Amino acid sequence: MSEPILRVNGLHKYFGDHHVLQGVDLEVRRGEMICMIGSSGSGKSTFLRCLNFMEYPSAGRIELQGRIIGKKSGTLHGAPTFSYQERELVQVRTHVGMVFQQFNLFPHMTVVENVMEGPVTVLGIGKEAAAERAKENLDKVGLLEKADQYPSRLSGGQQQRVAIARALAMKPDVMLFDEVTSSLDPELVGEVLNAMRDLSAEGMTMIVVTHELGFAYHLARQVLFLHDGVIHEQGTPDEVLKHPQQERTKGFLAGFTDFYF
Amino acid sequence: MPEFQWRWGEMPQYWRSFAEGLLVTAELSAIIIAGALLGGVVIGAMRYSKRRIFNWPATCFIEVFRNTPILVQVVWFFYAFPVLVGGQLEPFLAAVFGIGLNITAYSAEIFRGGIQSIERGQWEAGRAIGMGYFQVMRRIVLPVAVRRMIPAFANRMIEAVKATSLASTIAVADLMWQGEQLANAIYRPFEVYTAVAVIYFLAIYPLVLCTYGLERRFRIDEEVKL
Repeated sequence: MSEPILRVNGLHKYFGDHHVLQGVDLEVRRGEMICMIGSSGSGKSTFLRCLNFMEYPSAGRIELQGRIIGKKSGTLHGAPTFSYQERELVQVRTHVGMVFQQFNLFPHMTVVENVMEGPVTVLGIGKEAAAERAKENLDKVGLLEKADQYPSRLSGGQQQRVAIARALAMKPDVMLFDEVTSSLDPELVGEVLNAMRDLSAEGMTMIVVTHELGFAYHLARQVLFLHDGVIHEQGTPDEVLKHPQQERTKGFLAGFTDFYF
Repeated sequence: MPEFQWRWGEMPQYWRSFAEGLLVTAELSAIIIAGALLGGVVIGAMRYSKRRIFNWPATCFIEVFRNTPILVQVVWFFYAFPVLVGGQLEPFLAAVFGIGLNITAYSAEIFRGGIQSIERGQWEAGRAIGMGYFQVMRRIVLPVAVRRMIPAFANRMIEAVKATSLASTIAVADLMWQGEQLANAIYRPFEVYTAVAVIYFLAIYPLVLCTYGLERRFRIDEEVKL
């Protein structure tokens, strides 16, 4: 077994008094796809957002490629707390890409400019090289011909694929997907899932929060079921989705009446 | 009752008074607009800040100057302010402060509102690709926010030009003041004030047309359903 690329120990997150994450551990190996499922409010999005520090963890250690992020500052619930420097986090985010439920494309830039923005502004790559890289990534998600369009001219599925290309252009080591098909019309979900499947096949390390159980079943290496801020059940797709042991997992899965393997 | 005699024919010979007045109106407007834009950006940014040391003074400034009549501010700066600091304030300068600070307060709110109108997701998308606060602000937030602010700014600037007529109350020799002097001198208030109104209209209407143009232009360019 290779060393994990991402290791999380005892992750806690509070929003005010609300204890959203109550000690979550996870190890992610290179090239692995992990799917996280759970009802809304279970903390799965918050967990994902802590991994690239869109939210600061209240406690818990996050290790990216063997490097612990932040400076240890104390303990909470037996887990170490850390103080974070924005400069270090900016660095981390260039290695951990994220795609959101709302595509959040930059409306004043064309599709190719959206994808070039990170490489040019953050990585300091020349415009020509960045355009080249952007086009490669747009090609990967099948949208090269839309390069010069503005996002508003694209369908939701296309916009989401551009958002994936934009994250890929940073050449991240890990990609986080936060319910990326949840705001799409049903007929547009497939094209986005296909792009993600291709990405996984190329060996991208991915953590995917999703309600697409079929996708999770067929492509994930591990499935985690989050409930009330803890990982309630964890295992292979077959174990968690087909033969769940925990009552809560069974209850959650029972809600998906249209889910057949 | 004797029938009223129109005496429009006399008006052109007073063109010099009107022109001098218009020039002062233009100067006053230009200084106020430039100051209000600059001050509005600074105070708007302070108001947007979460830090109380910036936010609190900006909020006070905005609320004070937005919620008192411009005429009162003009008169206050001319008569009361000098008592406070000792010495005298030129009428022109008192008008710049009285009108300008009011317009600045509104501009600050337009600026803050424009920045706040940008969805949180835009910030997150920028940060997620490793951008820092100022990079997101400069590359993502401001380009869209400024487009959204332009129509509101333009309207406020037109208000500023109109508001300069209040400076006549403290004897700034603007177009309105010239009109008053002339009307009193030749006893033709109807013709004079009508002429003044027409000149204001001719000066301001092209500005309004410009704002229509700006609104159209930016509506097309933004091309967004955010």
